[in-house]
Amino acid sequence: MIQRLRKTHRLIFIALAVLLPLLFIAALAVRKPMPVNQPFPPQLLRTK
Amino acid sequence: MSLRYRAISWNPQKRRYDAVMAASSGLYLALFVGVSAFTNPNATIETLLIRAFGTAALLLLHVILLIGPLCRLQPRFLPLLYNRRHLGVTTFVMGLAHGGFALFQFHALGDTNPLVSLLISNRRFDSLANFPFQPLGFIALVILFLMAATSHDFWLKQLSPVMWKRLHMLVYAAYALLIAHVALGVLQAETNPLLAGVLAAGMIVVLTVHLLAAQREHAMDKQPFETGFVAVCALGEIPEKRARVISLNGERIAVFKHDGKLSALSNVCQHQNGPLGEGRIVDGCVTCPWHGYQYLPETGVSPPPFKERVATYRVKLIDGVVYVNPEPVGQDGILSYTPSV
Repeated sequence: MIQRLRKTHRLIFIALAVLLPLLFIAALAVRKPMPVNQPFPPQLLRTK
Repeated sequence: MSLRYRAISWNPQKRRYDAVMAASSGLYLALFVGVSAFTNPNATIETLLIRAFGTAALLLLHVILLIGPLCRLQPRFLPLLYNRRHLGVTTFVMGLAHGGFALFQFHALGDTNPLVSLLISNRRFDSLANFPFQPLGFIALVILFLMAATSHDFWLKQLSPVMWKRLHMLVYAAYALLIAHVALGVLQAETNPLLAGVLAAGMIVVLTVHLLAAQREHAMDKQPFETGFVAVCALGEIPEKRARVISLNGERIAVFKHDGKLSALSNVCQHQNGPLGEGRIVDGCVTCPWHGYQYLPETGVSPPPFKERVATYRVKLIDGVVYVNPEPVGQDGILSYTPSV
């Protein structure tokens, strides 16, 4: 009766075991360095 | 077991389970917010709460996904399964809090409906680095809601155990969506290797344990088709008041030994398809190890006033070897024998 559910579960996890690590590695591979704020030019900090 | 539907049929075990779960969740949230506020003093309280609820939901989802296969591999984990549905509802509540705070923080201050904004503000489907990760989390939350809303015996009965199980297998889709949500979302901005390492470790553990359990079940199902009585085991291999589970023609059958009798029943509990053969005979009834549903070993029928019923099978004992006929029968699947001294 639940053999089909067991088979579905097995197939799902075979697919996830392939797809999730691929997605994870791809997501890490496309990471871009976060932009860093440059120090404020000192001349702009001068006040009159 | 209960004849009437109640929101929750409380008992001391459920209260203890929920108390541990609530205390652990509260402690985790408090620790996360406290430590994060200390290490990242510029973060707003909304940001801290978004992160605390999000990580709590993901952590709980890992625990939930591990309970099932761990119980298949090692029965000592069975007590964790008893009230797993409350863990599921808690996961949804944590996810909802995470989503609610995120919706407020990132989408509620414009002139567009926040939910519409969530779904259409980023359309970079062509870029993995800029992929719209928030809708992935939203879809996962909708799945968790459907599961939490139907986590009750009322819906189990209305939908039938097989349909209910199919619906709840959507949790695997929700898990995949949440991994994508985190990997394409926060991991794009947070480059601390600890975060990626923890997520990878959790994913590897979940995938490995599920594949191990599935492989074990698959090996058991790979039996040739049989007709007539089939030798399944020696009498001595079945512990008293317990069962030996066999697989015949794709069906799991639990052969119980009790008080000088042998009886064979379907291994599938009518409640949530729990493995009856991993339970034992309590008060003369086969008792499911998951939620305590009971069946008379002689007939496969639940004791009155309950009406659940599982299939029974004919059993033979020849020269100390137990034989089972894989064709289900009505009420005569019991065999008396003289226990050897």
